[in-house]
Amino acid sequence: MLSGSNLAPSSHQLPPAALIGGVLVLAGVAAVLAAPLVLDIYSVNVLTRSLLLAVAAVTVDLLWGYTGILSFAQAAFLAIGAYALALVSTRLGFSPGTGLFALLLGMGVAALAALLVGWLAFSYGASLLYVSTITLVFPIVFVQLIFAGGNFTGSSSGLSGFDVPDLDTESWFRVAGLLLVAVAALAVTFVRSDFGRLLVAMRENDLRCQYLGIPTARLKVSLFVVCAMVCAAAGWIYAGATAVVAPELGNFVSGTELVIYTALGGRATLAGPIVGAVAIDAISNFLNGALPFLWALIVGLLFVVVIVALPGGLLSLLRLGRERRSRLVPDLVEAAVQTPMQDGLVLQVTTLGKRFGSLIVLKDVSFVARAGDLVSLIGPNGAGKTTLMRCIADGRERSAGTVEIGGHSIRHLPPHRCTALGVGRKFQTASVFESMTVAECLRVARTRIERPSLFRRTPTIALPAAALEVVRATGLGDRLGVETRHLSHGEKQSLELAMVLALEPTLLLLDEPTAGLTGAERARIGELLVDLARRYRLCIVLVEHDLDFVRRISSRIIVLHQGNIVLDGGVEEATQSETVRTIYAGAAHA
Amino acid sequence: MSLLLDIATTAAILYAVALGLLIVFGVMGIISFAHGAMMTIGGYAALLVTQEGWSPWASFPAAALAGLVGGAVMERIVLRPLYRRPLDAILATWGLGIVIGQVITLVFGRQVQFAQSPLSGAINVLGVTYSQYRLLLVALAILLAGVIAFILHGTRLGLVTRAVIANEGLSQSLGVNSARVRFASFSLGSALASLAGALVVPLSSVDPNMGVPWLVGAFMLVLLSGSSLVSMAGAAIVLGAAQVLVSTYLNAVLGGMTIAILAAIILRIRPTGFARA
Repeated sequence: MLSGSNLAPSSHQLPPAALIGGVLVLAGVAAVLAAPLVLDIYSVNVLTRSLLLAVAAVTVDLLWGYTGILSFAQAAFLAIGAYALALVSTRLGFSPGTGLFALLLGMGVAALAALLVGWLAFSYGASLLYVSTITLVFPIVFVQLIFAGGNFTGSSSGLSGFDVPDLDTESWFRVAGLLLVAVAALAVTFVRSDFGRLLVAMRENDLRCQYLGIPTARLKVSLFVVCAMVCAAAGWIYAGATAVVAPELGNFVSGTELVIYTALGGRATLAGPIVGAVAIDAISNFLNGALPFLWALIVGLLFVVVIVALPGGLLSLLRLGRERRSRLVPDLVEAAVQTPMQDGLVLQVTTLGKRFGSLIVLKDVSFVARAGDLVSLIGPNGAGKTTLMRCIADGRERSAGTVEIGGHSIRHLPPHRCTALGVGRKFQTASVFESMTVAECLRVARTRIERPSLFRRTPTIALPAAALEVVRATGLGDRLGVETRHLSHGEKQSLELAMVLALEPTLLLLDEPTAGLTGAERARIGELLVDLARRYRLCIVLVEHDLDFVRRISSRIIVLHQGNIVLDGGVEEATQSETVRTIYAGAAHA
Repeated sequence: MSLLLDIATTAAILYAVALGLLIVFGVMGIISFAHGAMMTIGGYAALLVTQEGWSPWASFPAAALAGLVGGAVMERIVLRPLYRRPLDAILATWGLGIVIGQVITLVFGRQVQFAQSPLSGAINVLGVTYSQYRLLLVALAILLAGVIAFILHGTRLGLVTRAVIANEGLSQSLGVNSARVRFASFSLGSALASLAGALVVPLSSVDPNMGVPWLVGAFMLVLLSGSSLVSMAGAAIVLGAAQVLVSTYLNAVLGGMTIAILAAIILRIRPTGFARA
């Protein structure tokens, strides 16, 4: 237990889940050690392979089931580990030294390959389909490289007869089994931790994560690299246990088989892929002699049926393996906010321009906003209001000009880096994490400030006073354990506002915060915003269509029309202005 | 000259193979893993035609028909419940691919077989002796593209299909039966896949996994072209040329990876690929 909160009351220590987990691990170890005593040698052999495939299937589940990255490359990473041992042993013979070298080599190469694949796959705006395609290309390249290696890599016939560690079949089974138990135990701990919720958050709404200051691309690449290294380690054992490696081990068909095990067993359960891998791979080996192609046909049919009719996998039939969400609702406490309340300039936009090809959306937009300001951006549809917000929150958006937050230029920084400069952006339609609880959403929003634990779920959430106030004022405090998909539209809007405030921003960007809210909700949000600006000295910039609302709360109004600022002044000035009236009435002026 | 002909024919084959996939991708937003298996169905249709002693020309309509029926059944039973889960639909098509492959293996056996080519021999093109059949493929690919372009731009079904590609939700609210459009496109896409299978058979051979090697190249082409017939022609020529050049001047193994790697890099730099280039 590395990171822990010292606020944890003793009642949270040693929750029963940890005890159950410990018992399960011990049971797993005992089963792995005892199984070779009762199984015949052929079964032990077959199951060794199945256990190692189960390790790879667990990584597929972490990537796909939890994080939403459908990877077809895991078998190739396993093959890299296997080939590392095979190649090193063929050239140098086997000794503990070369064995360790091979293990490190395999894991290292797998990590580098994963880094490259990850860099290609998780670029800005890459679709899930593109990510999957890249992971599909990787095994194809891997197999071609093995072919290209000729005698050195054994080409299409693979390598065999190399020296391996001198262990009997039963011992290899135990080594494979212990690896699986260890990987499974770590994976279960991981997905149940605060960090595990972050994986789900990225799966559900990657964009929101980026605007919460979370470097999603880097986290996904890291996860991908770690998973690749685990697969490579399993591959090392595979080569040791079988003393044969072949390119088929790492081709994309093997990669899809791991996905099939995961889907059949049940994704996002961790137990499902293990059961799926062991059951299907082992049965394949036993049945392939008797029913050569029929078994593959049955697996194919079963797979299609499960995908269509039982997306939760076969395990969901048993209602086992379902993620048991701890019913413990965390306590909210007030976080000590370090950022000093400054009275100075928060936002300075200078000659900002934005064009899409030849279409000019914003031109020469310049304005400033200070702490405590509540600036409303108004203007007809298509005036460029939302585009302007985007250009402030994402350094890569604008085509000209500069944006400074608290004196720092946002240069061409991606959203998560702009967030670190103090920008908090709330989207037009409430953007939260649908399958997560209110408390979990708030915790994910704190990721930037408090590094989430990899091992445990912290029992308290520390929020800055402003966020706490929103949570309390809107009644979300009583609904912390509710999944957000059950919230009303207004509650989701409030939750997103609280999440953004949890970032401790200095600049709050709100895109139509009252859209779709009832009159009462509108009034409450209005009061809250005024309060945030006055008491917490936040600089708030909001886009709004409801002019009455704007008049009531704003300290300043900026009118945008056809990409230009036509007015920047006080509420009185704006509401009296002839220009504004003309624009809204859509009169001759065009 | 011979190199240019190689590039033209390689691009034409790639185009023909990817055409069905493009239509499915455009309308349903999914990449069909069953595309390879549908090609295999086409290959075996061609084989049956040969074995029955019919004219090898009959293998093309026979393959297209087999694909049409197969695609229609698959769409109706498996894909329709998965409209809202595109990633699952992709996996389901992979499962279907396995099922088709295994059924074919059970029926026809694993061995490699050969079907008759409708055109054999070579002719002289501008001083180079070149395979007649490969040249025919270029003509057929252009013809297919023309037919599809006509269906999309000249018929009512095409109009509705383009509407669904552009905005499915809006089309539905305007009274378009998008389920029927999806059904038609998947059937048509499968028919084109099978036809492509029959087209490539005279170049190689027939076996239960013959379609799989084509799959990734076709994927890449489609991802690079968005849903435009024209940009896919550009992509097919660029990737085909790269493959031919690498295979000729470097080595054949590298040539096999060229399309996949090149496409991956192009997409990294320019996610829209050749679309609206």
